[in-house]
Amino acid sequence: MIEFDDVSVRFGAAEAVRGVSVAIPPGALAVLVGPSGSGKTTLLRLVNRMATPSAGQVRVRGEDVALADPARLRRSVGYVMQSMGLFPHWSVARNIGTVPALLGWPQPRIAARVEELLALVRLDPALAQRRPAALSGGQAQRVGLARALAADPDILLMDEPFGAVDPIVRRELRAELTRIHAATGKTILLVTHDPIEALELATHLIVLREGQLVAAGEAAALAAPPAAPFLRALFGPEALALRRLSLLRVGDAALDGPAPDAAPEIAPEASLAEAWILMQERGAPVLAVGARHLPWSALLPR
Amino acid sequence: MRPLPALILAGLLAALASAPGAALVARGLGLEGAPFDTARLLALAAQHLLLVLGGAGPAILLGIAAGLWVTRPSGAGRALRPVADAGAAAAQAIPPVVVVALAFPALGFGAAPTLLALALYALMPVLRATIAAVEATPPDAVLAARAMGMTEGQALWRVVLPLAWPAMLPGVRTAVLLAAATAAVGSLAGAATLGTPIILGLQTMNELLILQGAAATAALAFLCDAALGGVAARLTGGQGAAIQAGGDRT
Repeated sequence: MIEFDDVSVRFGAAEAVRGVSVAIPPGALAVLVGPSGSGKTTLLRLVNRMATPSAGQVRVRGEDVALADPARLRRSVGYVMQSMGLFPHWSVARNIGTVPALLGWPQPRIAARVEELLALVRLDPALAQRRPAALSGGQAQRVGLARALAADPDILLMDEPFGAVDPIVRRELRAELTRIHAATGKTILLVTHDPIEALELATHLIVLREGQLVAAGEAAALAAPPAAPFLRALFGPEALALRRLSLLRVGDAALDGPAPDAAPEIAPEASLAEAWILMQERGAPVLAVGARHLPWSALLPR
Repeated sequence: MRPLPALILAGLLAALASAPGAALVARGLGLEGAPFDTARLLALAAQHLLLVLGGAGPAILLGIAAGLWVTRPSGAGRALRPVADAGAAAAQAIPPVVVVALAFPALGFGAAPTLLALALYALMPVLRATIAAVEATPPDAVLAARAMGMTEGQALWRVVLPLAWPAMLPGVRTAVLLAAATAAVGSLAGAATLGTPIILGLQTMNELLILQGAAATAALAFLCDAALGGVAARLTGGQGAAIQAGGDRT
């Protein structure tokens, strides 16, 4: 879906991205994570030609972006930025309808799509005629997300999308994004400097440092021990351990044989993290999973 | 600024410039000489206004066009920004009376040297205001316009200009005010302006004519300023405040 093939980006004397090769499969929620200055945003902007590689090739849907018309490419890829970049002189509805209007959709179709999107991002339809200045940070961010999704692009680029909102709204928006990703199956490439956010959202992780690829792959595989020292330092051992547990399912780890009578019940679809929390809360070393059981030792990596 | 104070001033000055008003002042100050005829003064005012529009109008269009051209994110214009800026400053720095005097041999007697002087004088305020206004547009909105897939022209017409023009208006207003006040020098080269009674007064030692010409010129300048102020207030009408509030959300 999105492929970087030995890509480098040079700004003057500095090299922001150095020889990065990585592929993002369709439907992934891939998170680009790394310290500031690691080239995350630059790598993201290569996808819709907001940045140009000095060497290597970027392919989107199998086609080299260097050969694509920039305006058409950008209209086919959703883009959300940290500062939102809503147009202050347009209403919320017109902001959301930006790309459909550029694509020449008829007005009634745009209006219907705007209504649909307000519902998708759970915004009050009464806000449609407001100016962005009248919105809260969280609302503005939802409008930014709706605008990016307006023309139903199969790829969504998100540059620190939750950077400008407070922690509670941030949590809400993350849950919303996970929900929208699951509901729409879009390929999402998201940049964050927050390792916890990366671990929470990612199906795929791409870790960068000083413009170079440190690690890339499925989140569960990268979180599994033994983690590389840089990953341990970046994510913290607790976050890695908990993330591994939240990616594994109880049904896959349960052992045959019934649990003791007093053992609390847990569903096989629950994550090991939920099992761990239940054990902590109930002081139970073993949980019942239907006719099978889950001892605490089953939480350990095998 | 609301246009009301300028309108009141314009009215007072016009009353002073009219023949009965001037006669009244002349009696009070003990000046001798006959006042300039009001009807002729009005005719001169109309010609004065035409010169202002003919000189400042093209300068305003040129200033806006040049300002937009040198602030485009891509293209050759950007490199020319210091040149345009210095050129406009130089045009502003030469006194219009000098331009009229220098252009007189080349362009001849009449309106042409005045039009040139006014155009040069009006260029810089518009150019500077346009550059400042474009540079003050919220950079994230401009970036978003690009990221959404607007072409450069679409980004200019749909995002940059609507956000920038309230800040460009004061430059236009200044340019017109300057031109209205300065056009009087055109009478030195034989153009019919409100400077005509001033020249006449200097030649015939009639201070009353000088007073009338000066008052009428000032009245017209204030009138232009009030008119443009009114237009700006009506066009912007609260939109400016909303844009400012929206521009600095982080």
